[in-house]
Amino acid sequence: MRNVVVTGMGLVTCLGLDRPSVSGRLRRLEHGIQRFQPFIDDPKVPISLAAPIPGFQTEGGDPEDWTFPSSLKLRMEQIRSLSPNALYAHYALQQAVADAGLELEDIGNERTGLFTASSGSAGMTYFHMERLKRVGPMRCSPLGIVASIAGTLNFNLSAMYKFQGASTGFVSACASSGHAMGYAWDSIALGRQDRAVVVGAEDFTYETIVPFAGMRVLSPSEDPDTASRPFDARRDGFVGTGGSVVLVLEDEETALARKAPIYARMRGWSQTTDGYHIAASHPDGDGLRRAIEDVLRTSGTEREAIDYINAHATSTQAGDVSECRALKSVFGVGKGPRISSTKALTGHALSLSSIMEAAFVLIGIRDGFTPGSAHISQLDAEAEGLNIIRESVEEAPQLALSNSSGFGGANVCLLFEKPECG
Amino acid sequence: MPEPSVNESELRESLKRCPEAAVQAAIAFQKTRDPSLVPTIVFGIVERFVEPEVRSIVREGDEQVRLVEDLAIDSLLMVEIVILVEETLQIKIENEELRSLRTLGDLKTYLNAKVQGLPVPSQGQSLNFAEIAAMMPHQPPFLFLQEARIQGAVAEGIYRISGEEAFLEGHFKGNPVFPASLMLEALGQLAVLQLLKSEVDGLKAGEVDPNTVYFVSCDGVRCHKVCRPGDILEMRVELKKVHSPLAQFEGFISSGGQRVAKAEEISLTFNPKAEPKEAEAAEPS
Repeated sequence: MRNVVVTGMGLVTCLGLDRPSVSGRLRRLEHGIQRFQPFIDDPKVPISLAAPIPGFQTEGGDPEDWTFPSSLKLRMEQIRSLSPNALYAHYALQQAVADAGLELEDIGNERTGLFTASSGSAGMTYFHMERLKRVGPMRCSPLGIVASIAGTLNFNLSAMYKFQGASTGFVSACASSGHAMGYAWDSIALGRQDRAVVVGAEDFTYETIVPFAGMRVLSPSEDPDTASRPFDARRDGFVGTGGSVVLVLEDEETALARKAPIYARMRGWSQTTDGYHIAASHPDGDGLRRAIEDVLRTSGTEREAIDYINAHATSTQAGDVSECRALKSVFGVGKGPRISSTKALTGHALSLSSIMEAAFVLIGIRDGFTPGSAHISQLDAEAEGLNIIRESVEEAPQLALSNSSGFGGANVCLLFEKPECG
Repeated sequence: MPEPSVNESELRESLKRCPEAAVQAAIAFQKTRDPSLVPTIVFGIVERFVEPEVRSIVREGDEQVRLVEDLAIDSLLMVEIVILVEETLQIKIENEELRSLRTLGDLKTYLNAKVQGLPVPSQGQSLNFAEIAAMMPHQPPFLFLQEARIQGAVAEGIYRISGEEAFLEGHFKGNPVFPASLMLEALGQLAVLQLLKSEVDGLKAGEVDPNTVYFVSCDGVRCHKVCRPGDILEMRVELKKVHSPLAQFEGFISSGGQRVAKAEEISLTFNPKAEPKEAEAAEPS
């Protein structure tokens, strides 16, 4: 099996649109959550907070109405097939490819694959379905389907950048982009591809976020400074966000041969399923425990060597408890690895969250810090005995895990290792 | 006070981002159905969907402007244009009719006939390079036909001399001139395409086996003008006579409005495709 390294990163997040900004805010624990006027203005919506993406406005079903940074150049035919998440992904992908020291032409070949994750576009689906029923199919945009369905990311990106290797998408809710990372890793490790562009993206729209209020999992808090507080005893749900993160993965020899910048080696990954419930995670975190054990075993890593875990913890009551139990069952209580949930700063980005948090781990490795778990004023009793760091630590992780769990009980763990000369 | 048209605000919403002149024309058209408003409306809708850098080309309204090649309108964008035109002019456009529209002029003529309920003028059948290459026995680098249109006994075709053609290096040294022999070849290729696609003189489309078409003779050849990289060969052949296995054509080439070459008689030979035998087609018992 070949070694896999991460060589490029692109960010469209509520913490910023470039690595220095995001890194600074992670280190200083500055969140991206705001009082969000469209929610406040709608009396039917019981929440008032969200974490919007600076520089992007993508409400409404007509992409020509959207605004985005002028550095992103798209032609009319490319704009008209977009979902919001595909728009963010274009920006993040171009940034990631440049960050990896590559040209866009370098990804349009048979040895480069595209692995994506989004839940599709609920907003675009609604917009086009409403029109379909009102005026009939013959008066509807022929691009409505490719802009709406899960897969819109890989359709838009593979057409624009001429990918000729793998192109596929993953739909496992909040574990989706972890699966995309995992299968990209497999493809390179097995020699099927030399390079993979991994894309997580999720709409930041009413239609993607507000339905979670109906599930009673969004925080009703009106205070952006404390609303998202994973592991806090008084947490009351998550805050919605969206955006896109793109990572470029490469065969290590290919990357070294071209003297590429290396963020980290991806040592492995794992996936399990709770086999328990459609939405809730297993109360004892059984599936997540097995996932952590599996990635340690398959990568030949001692659990004591792990020094940082970016937790999935979203700030919901049940979810955080089951993750605490999983972590305790693998690492015990007392002096275990540092643990934090960066969702305190970003809120929950759903399909995007796994790769976004992987990127945060990589930023910490590169810039020499471990981000803290913000907004905890009273630690939940279930988290007692875990080394949850309340402040960022000025030390880069050497071996870091990133956990993700999604609907249906899907769990993914990604394992990253600091490069020797990095 | 007369009621404002109930459709006006909806029409404005549908036509947002179209030039105001087109919106005004569309509102007037709703009341009068005056065909003279059609070009303003349609060119306005086209302008709204094309890239900003080619909008001025649409505004100038040259009827020779090609939808695909000059305006980069792909098939899905064309569908969006058609949807909006249908809605605005309250007409129904058939997919088959759409395929034959190549230029802004074609579009204008076609819609003029449509709104007046006149028979739609036939534009013949247009073929792009991929369609031509899929059908022809000739292939790059020896295919000198990039676009074609076939209508009845007449075929028209285009070849743009790029300057990248390998043979221009030696024809001539330091002086690239498109060889006259290859002009004749290009005309012959257009004739082959005509033979494969046409339905005249008792021939049916698809009846001729592409791998059996060969050159027989050519008479009355005259060249008038030298063509170089950057020039466009605008070719036209007309099928004069079919007497299986022979077909006779007349051919012309012009470029930028000037005569380039003429061939009074080009003869090709061909075999019809073998008829499938009943016995072989039957299921084995």
